[in-house]
Amino acid sequence: MKPTGILFFPAFDWAISPTHPEREERLLYTRDQIFEEGIMDLLQIREYQPGLATAKDIARVHFCVPDVEAQITEAHLVSAGSALRIADAYMEGEIKNGFAIIRPPGHHSKTVSHGNRGFCNINNEAIMIEYLRQKYGIKRVAIVDTDVHHGDGTQEIYYNDPDVLFISFHQDGRTLYPGSGHMDELGGPLAYGTTINLPLAPRTTDTGILYALEKLIMPILEEFKPELIVNSAGQDNHYSDPLADMRFSAQGYARLNEILAPDIAVLEGGYSVQTALPYVNMGLIMAMAGIDYSNLREPDYVPERMRENPANLEYIDKMVKRQLQVFRQREEQIEKNRKTRERFHHVHKQIFYDTDYIHEEQSIQLRLCPDCPGFRLIESTAQHRNGYYYRVYCVSIPANACASCQSEARSCYTDMSGNDRYDLVYLQDRVNNDFRSIDIKKDVEMVL
Amino acid sequence: MLIGIDVGGTYTDGVVFDRGEVIATTKVPTDDNDIKSTVLQVLDKLLLKQDKSDITRIVLSTTVVTNLLATGKGERTALLLIPGYGLPADAYDISDDTFFLKGGIDFRGRELDPLDEKELIQIGDNIVAAGIKRAAIISKFGNRNDNLEKQASHYMAQHYPQLSVTTGSQISGKLNFPRRATTAYYTAITSKEWNRFVDEIDQALTERGLDCEVHILKADGGTLALDVSRDMPCETVFSGPAASTMGAMALAGEGMNSVVLDIGGTTTDIALLIEGEPLYASKGASINQRYTHINAFAVRSIALGGDSCITVNAGQVEVQAYRRDVAACFGGSSATVTDAFNYKFNLNIGNPELSAAALEQIGGSAMSTEEVGAAVVAIVTNRLQDVITSMFKEWENEPAYKVWEVINKRKFTLEQITGIGAASRAIIPELADAMQVKHFIHQYADVANALGAAVARPTLAVNLHVDTQTKIYTLDPGGVRGTLENPHNFQLKDAREMARKHLEQVGKERGMASYTNESSFFMEEQFNMIGGWDQTGKLFDVGIQVTPGFIEEFKGVKI
Ligand SMILES: [Zn+2]
Ligand SMILES: [Zn+2]
Repeated sequence: MKPTGILFFPAFDWAISPTHPEREERLLYTRDQIFEEGIMDLLQIREYQPGLATAKDIARVHFCVPDVEAQITEAHLVSAGSALRIADAYMEGEIKNGFAIIRPPGHHSKTVSHGNRGFCNINNEAIMIEYLRQKYGIKRVAIVDTDVHHGDGTQEIYYNDPDVLFISFHQDGRTLYPGSGHMDELGGPLAYGTTINLPLAPRTTDTGILYALEKLIMPILEEFKPELIVNSAGQDNHYSDPLADMRFSAQGYARLNEILAPDIAVLEGGYSVQTALPYVNMGLIMAMAGIDYSNLREPDYVPERMRENPANLEYIDKMVKRQLQVFRQREEQIEKNRKTRERFHHVHKQIFYDTDYIHEEQSIQLRLCPDCPGFRLIESTAQHRNGYYYRVYCVSIPANACASCQSEARSCYTDMSGNDRYDLVYLQDRVNNDFRSIDIKKDVEMVL
Repeated sequence: MLIGIDVGGTYTDGVVFDRGEVIATTKVPTDDNDIKSTVLQVLDKLLLKQDKSDITRIVLSTTVVTNLLATGKGERTALLLIPGYGLPADAYDISDDTFFLKGGIDFRGRELDPLDEKELIQIGDNIVAAGIKRAAIISKFGNRNDNLEKQASHYMAQHYPQLSVTTGSQISGKLNFPRRATTAYYTAITSKEWNRFVDEIDQALTERGLDCEVHILKADGGTLALDVSRDMPCETVFSGPAASTMGAMALAGEGMNSVVLDIGGTTTDIALLIEGEPLYASKGASINQRYTHINAFAVRSIALGGDSCITVNAGQVEVQAYRRDVAACFGGSSATVTDAFNYKFNLNIGNPELSAAALEQIGGSAMSTEEVGAAVVAIVTNRLQDVITSMFKEWENEPAYKVWEVINKRKFTLEQITGIGAASRAIIPELADAMQVKHFIHQYADVANALGAAVARPTLAVNLHVDTQTKIYTLDPGGVRGTLENPHNFQLKDAREMARKHLEQVGKERGMASYTNESSFFMEEQFNMIGGWDQTGKLFDVGIQVTPGFIEEFKGVKI
């Protein structure tokens, strides 16, 4: 039996600020717990060393403004690089599954990155998935976001990609950051139904979450048949988390991972550093490694206080039935969208970066191609913390783009390359693994 | 004048070393059933031509504990575990006599659940009824708070005075409950035999009128006064490879990246020196496939040596793990690795014609002598090269938990292969050629192990954990736990000072006070604890140590 890979990178020398939830102390007690349990010594476990992501790995997913270096610290390169390291170990067949216990987190980072949103600058899972698609040629991937916050960054990155299934359950956006993740966010016109959200009522327990897992997430995964299942593994659904209000336990997290059986889990949020994280991380590791976790629990866990409200279970059941239906009708809906829509689908967005207090305006054009999921043209403006006002133009060609979309998109990049309306013009060509940008004022092209 | 004695699996070596020169050497076959007699036999031979009053220090590297643990002949001991929540009970496969106690401590040293006195009575009765006279009690996070271990231990001592009890926190202050449990258990099961050995050696030295310092070599290449070793027998495991690594350091000098190969009759021990410092096993010594908290060099042993037998089957040359005899060139009955190198490179070892004849014989009609020789050389160099490369990789792939550690990751560039042991002269030059590095074999290479033991200095590592919120600190070794006097202004410099003082104190107790001023900090961690948005305390982890090195009077070896 192959071991479970663990990559533990607690970034003991990185913090957003000294008292921020994303501080050095965050995984300290998790370190104490997993080291004291001697879990890395077990035959079922293989520990991996952190890796380093490159600027190219990041540009495969993000348009970093003005450049990759401006949006990240070395800690981000290690965190993302560690996700790549564990993913390599999985793809090379060294491990049966892997868990990257890493920080800084990433699931709130969207395609364009002007700054830090929800403690995230770059999206570790998306960087990992695009790396795997490029390196190993895999196509279909499912991401299950088990963080209490809606994984809005990951959702946005894959909103128009029918080959990446994104499922997120989270505390209802009407009661928690970032406010999105509603039932009707179902994917772009050509990727309808491969974005599935399940906004749960505050105080939902193990029973409610595991019900949604078994009745909605597992059947969808079975029908979607992904080549890879990724758990975007936040731990802030825990009943003790200071930033949210759910009632999930370490036992619940272990059971969830036992049933979900992700190929790769990547840590996201979770800020109850003493009461939850040591036990939840143990639970995940044990479940993924197939170790009996019945003796695991938080010292203050009282099961009687965690009973599910029958009315809430009924509410979950209704959502489950509706989303299952949406998922099963997705292909018909996509066909309809292809016929009725224009050549380009236009969207206008405002994005707020809470950590850095940046307001971004985006105008997106998605090519509604009859043969592929289409390319995206994104115009984005934002004033950065340093006072500089950026206007950028981004061309994004997905890995599954058809030949005519590729050439059309590339000519958009060339056409804009002298347009002084913009500070920067970017090309993200995943088909040819070609990532470049032009600084218009300096008239310099940078190729990664 | 210094004496070093290294008990090996096959032979026991001894040297007398004085002012840079080896004055006498001896070698006798090891009697595994009576190591004391083997040691004394070597000692007596060494003393034949020396004046006893000139001997200032004797260091022994023995296999007493290693053998006891390998053969499972230690004293029957009850293992009492207080695991609390976490891994299931079947994760702890350490002793057949394992008992689980209720109770729990968390990572901050907070008591979560108390002991259950009724359960203690029941278990105590069972242990005594089974005729067990020794017990080891280990609690998860007992290194952060040893209250439960102490309570259980006091209770057992009171109710069952015939029982000797060891606790985990006395043995190690480091995280990793299974390793603490294993180390405490192995300490308990070897304690009686080891103390008997120490008694016998003590008595024998007195009988011989020797009144000098006597030390035991540890797995970390440091020494321990014979008397001090009584409480920590397990520290003496794997001292053989430690002796040869220290010997190589003593002979090769210079702080470079090198690999030390100790090539014996049927085994080769391989160790890495990184910028001259020996590399430690990151998970501690592994005994019977279980990790421990015993600090040991990262030594790989492979079943390949100068006397390894060569066979040819259907045109396939194989180097066997076993030995039949000495090499043919020394009058042995069949072809060995040494013979193949001797023939292939015209080394003129022993009688080279006998090497050629032996190779020709096993080659038979299928293979020429030349082909057999070349095949053996290829097999041996490839195997050694593979192990060395995988050891570099392992070192480079050690986990890292801080950004700067990842960014500043070092790569291992091999500069030299240092050969020691009898068979190294035949094999090392060719291996070094194949790996395109220089090699070094000192004229004393054959006795480097005993020499390494003779000149090794004592080592000591101290670990301190401080929690300014609970106001508790714990110090290792010794399992010291106390309350901070001034938790509010406690800073990293105070933690360093506290650790240094403990090192000095333990150093004094162990008779190594003159070395504690050569200590260095190997760990300094500081974390702010935040509650809400405010700082509620600090956590410190500080480690200070006297690393392996040489006694003051050792000033190198004359070439
Ligand atoms: Zn979150
Ligand atoms: Zn197309």
